[in-house]
Amino acid sequence: MIRFDHVHKEYPDGTIAVDDFTLEVPSHEVVVLLGSSGCGKTTLMRMVNRMVDPSSGSVSIDGDDVAHSDPVKLRRSIGYVMQSGGLLPHRTVVDNIATVPLLLGATRRSAHARASELLDLVGLEQSVAKRYPSQLSGGQRQRIGVARALASDPNILLMDEPFGAVDPVVRAELQRELLHLQNELAKTILFVTHDVDEAFLLGQQVLVLRTGAEVAQHGSPANILLDPADDFVANFIGGPRRHLRTEMRDGRHIVVDAAGHVTGVLQDDRGAAG
Amino acid sequence: MIQFADAFAWLVDPANWPGPNGITARILEHLWYCLLALVLALVIAMPAGLYIGHTGKGRALAIGLTGALRALPSLGLLTLLAVTMSLGLRLAIVPSTIVLAILAIPPLLAAAYSGVEAVDPDVVDGARASGLNEWQIVGRVEVPLAAPLLVGGLRSAVLQVIATATLSAFLGLGGLGRFILDGQAVADYTRMLGGAILVIALALILDGGILLLQRWLVPSGVSIALGTGRLEGR
Ligand SMILES: Nc1ncnc2c1ncn2[C@@H]1O[C@H](COP(=O)(O)OP(=O)(O)OP(=O)(O)O)[C@@H](O)[C@H]1O
Ligand SMILES: [Mg+2]
Repeated sequence: MIRFDHVHKEYPDGTIAVDDFTLEVPSHEVVVLLGSSGCGKTTLMRMVNRMVDPSSGSVSIDGDDVAHSDPVKLRRSIGYVMQSGGLLPHRTVVDNIATVPLLLGATRRSAHARASELLDLVGLEQSVAKRYPSQLSGGQRQRIGVARALASDPNILLMDEPFGAVDPVVRAELQRELLHLQNELAKTILFVTHDVDEAFLLGQQVLVLRTGAEVAQHGSPANILLDPADDFVANFIGGPRRHLRTEMRDGRHIVVDAAGHVTGVLQDDRGAAG
Repeated sequence: MIQFADAFAWLVDPANWPGPNGITARILEHLWYCLLALVLALVIAMPAGLYIGHTGKGRALAIGLTGALRALPSLGLLTLLAVTMSLGLRLAIVPSTIVLAILAIPPLLAAAYSGVEAVDPDVVDGARASGLNEWQIVGRVEVPLAAPLLVGGLRSAVLQVIATATLSAFLGLGGLGRFILDGQAVADYTRMLGGAILVIALALILDGGILLLQRWLVPSGVSIALGTGRLEGR
């Protein structure tokens, strides 16, 4: 369980990135921070592994204030998938994945064995093992980022727009795989995104944030969709785009949004399984 | 041109190579002075440069200091140190090493801090977030990724030191400067020219050597990461 308790962060230049934020992320759940650029998502996330220290307030893991822990040890115990990737460009894929196990004292052999397990887990061919990050596609790099974060089997996973840099098809695939992984691994995941669909797909709880990490709404995806707290939330999650109705066309039901744009086809009961 | 021919004849004459005043001994002395100075310069410049590059502290000071060091005239400094240091003239290797090290420090220092500064901050951030401590970040991330620039700094330091070590002869030390200084004393231009050619050849050979060593000094992953060819300096 991760707990943010009245956390406030002001950067040295005077930017108030997080004003007064409180949240409990229950163990084994996926909580998504959803908000537009600059609203303080990354700042919040980095407070968990002490890449950023709050100006006031506290962050605790299972009741222990992270401020009292050794940052290096703490970071080795938390998986972090960075917004920018952050792989070591001069190390091969296996070495990148094996980083944390090696830091924790695993032998090279066992760390590499673990790394190749993880390649399988994130759906990559063993043949990429000896490549360097610059020799991979964006989607492959993001998978390596996830594999690296999982390498030492941490309880907590911080994922900062991990699928931001790939095309929608690959993103959908990565999202599916993450759900699948989470079914198996049941980590405590704090996930950051500005993609509404991604947030609703992955999160058991979603927080819609405004500037300064002010919580506009906190709830389940259905909750937020059915009952947006205010206009800001309603707009952010798509506004009229999500006000859908069906129309008959050529004997079938099509789904159209408030503006009349076609967004999908309603499957009848026979085809619903597809 | 006739002088070049004479100088080459002097160089290839086997009689000029052996003995305590022979070419072999002078080359070894020359290399020894350079090695001492380079080791001293590395011991000072590397930690300082890596510290500046890693922390971003002391950068302005380093730029000012290296600028000032570069402006110092080597011969003047050599004379000054030799005369004013109590050991100066008796143990001439001390002022000589200091002067040469002062020459080698600026390129090494600049290479170290600019090399580390040039490393992608996201990579350093990722390393730190994975749980590398600051020493590990320097040793396993910043130094390897700065290696091409570090080698570049080493090359220019070596060239300067090899060239300037000829001055050590002024303090009665050996080295290839002896041929130039002693030749001049007796108007033996052949010997002077021969000595000068040896200095140039030594510099070129060492430079080529380092260039080859770069293959070995710069990990292949780094060349791939930086998108540079294996032998390409940066
Ligand atoms: N190191 C820093 N120094 C000063 N200001 C910062 C720093 N890091 C972030 N900020 C500022 O704090 C605010 C929140 O930044 P943060 O990176 O947390 O946003 P974000 O929600 O992750 O945005 P994005 O979706 O673009 O990644 C922004 O205004 C940003 O400019
Ligand atoms: Mg961010």
